[in-house]
Amino acid sequence: MTAAALSRADIGPAFIPVDIGHDVYAAVTDPSTAFWALVDKTRIQEELAGGSLLDAYRKKVGDFARELHALRFELKPSGVYLNPTERCNLNCTYCYLPGEQRSNGSHMPHETLNASLGKLRDYFRSVMPEGRKPRAIFHGAEPLMNKEAVFSAIDAFGDDFVFGLQTNGTLLDDAALEFLTSRNVSIGLSLDGPFAGVTDATRKTWGGKSVHDKVLAAMEKLKGYGSWSVITTCTTENLPYLTQMVELFHAHEVPTCMLNTVRCTLPGARGVKPADGDMAKAFFAAMDRTHELYRETGRKLMVANFANILIGILAPTARRLMCDISPCGGGRAFFALAADGGLYPCSEFIGLPRFNGGNLLAEGGVEAALASAAFQTVTTRDVDTFSPCGDCAIRHFCGSPCPAEAHEMNGGMEKTGAFCEFYKEQVNYAMRLIADGKANDYLWDGWDEDTETIFNHVLN
Amino acid sequence: MQQAKHKQHQQTAATAPTAPAPMPTIAVRKSCNPDGIGLSHYVLMDKKAAK
Repeated sequence: MTAAALSRADIGPAFIPVDIGHDVYAAVTDPSTAFWALVDKTRIQEELAGGSLLDAYRKKVGDFARELHALRFELKPSGVYLNPTERCNLNCTYCYLPGEQRSNGSHMPHETLNASLGKLRDYFRSVMPEGRKPRAIFHGAEPLMNKEAVFSAIDAFGDDFVFGLQTNGTLLDDAALEFLTSRNVSIGLSLDGPFAGVTDATRKTWGGKSVHDKVLAAMEKLKGYGSWSVITTCTTENLPYLTQMVELFHAHEVPTCMLNTVRCTLPGARGVKPADGDMAKAFFAAMDRTHELYRETGRKLMVANFANILIGILAPTARRLMCDISPCGGGRAFFALAADGGLYPCSEFIGLPRFNGGNLLAEGGVEAALASAAFQTVTTRDVDTFSPCGDCAIRHFCGSPCPAEAHEMNGGMEKTGAFCEFYKEQVNYAMRLIADGKANDYLWDGWDEDTETIFNHVLN
Repeated sequence: MQQAKHKQHQQTAATAPTAPAPMPTIAVRKSCNPDGIGLSHYVLMDKKAAK
């Protein structure tokens, strides 16, 4: 233990105040354990100096530290993102996969896909508790470009994996929908605008044709299906339309969407990157609109990337997305398989050869990749250890995503991701909702059914 | 209504102003076995839907 750590241990835990922009409440946090409390601003000095809150926290600080450490450093992978082809029929402005692969790349042969799933099944059986199935998500490029191999694999391994498919939706015909929904495959679509003119600015075919109406048609057919979602990638092109976007999703009964900041891993994406302040303004307006729609209709539209921030605050171990935690889930909670058999910490790295951890079907397979220098570069990226994250009060609600864009855009793993200020504002917004008793309105019903309340301090 | 307002005004004037009581502190933490595998390109939020 270092001298500084010993000194901290002598003093005990201390709180950092955070102005969350609320009329009544401010937050205090101990970032090292992701602990937080909302305190009346008139009482903040006494809480910082010590009191019943700090006393109650002292009794739990060891448990919280162990819980967070386990979440950050002791997980075994339970999911894989499978790229069954390098090809895509679209040429989106911000894609993180190289254009040459997407236009002229190869499909993974059917036999290789089946052999890969067999090897993955054996790996997951060796690390996961009995009775829990791993997730296998077919991912892009566009997986339905190699539809026959994908569907054959889903049928062959349906007892071994919980399957998902992320698709641009253009090849999702009636037969494909029937196949996937009858097997309870979770389906993710992508749509960037409330009307074609906006979607077309970033998502279109290689020949420049619009795909907007095809995605809307797929959404219409998925209405009522239990397990589907739509991703909107937020760029300078669609930022003014985010509120209309959530109105469209709500009208189409989309159960879950994501309003993601564009990942700036490759240069093409950086050309449509919104400023943090603009992103925050448009995003919170859209979030406010989802709440109005919920109050008007009684039906929620889950904005998953924001819900995950809320859950990361309320129940750190219950988070579903593993981007907003450090180290991120890449190479820890999941990994990615490229169409050439290469293993990467996450799909985001597939265009970056230095992050290839080896071939799945080679000797060593997954274990060798997890132990490789390529994976370790990502799995050891720790916000506690670099500036400015190391001093940030919300670093374990944010995680400083994403390592791929930190590395490629900002020059190294010990750099922040692309949207530092936006993440701070998201946490403040989430804290304000908790202060106002509205957090559950932004989460799906029963989100905490499998959780246990381990701290509930109310001081009147 | 005007009478009631007048009465209220008299009461307020007769009582020394007091600061409002502080709002209660809120601090909650829940815990479960972690099993999230979502990333920004794909997510399934509801655990039950994945089973």
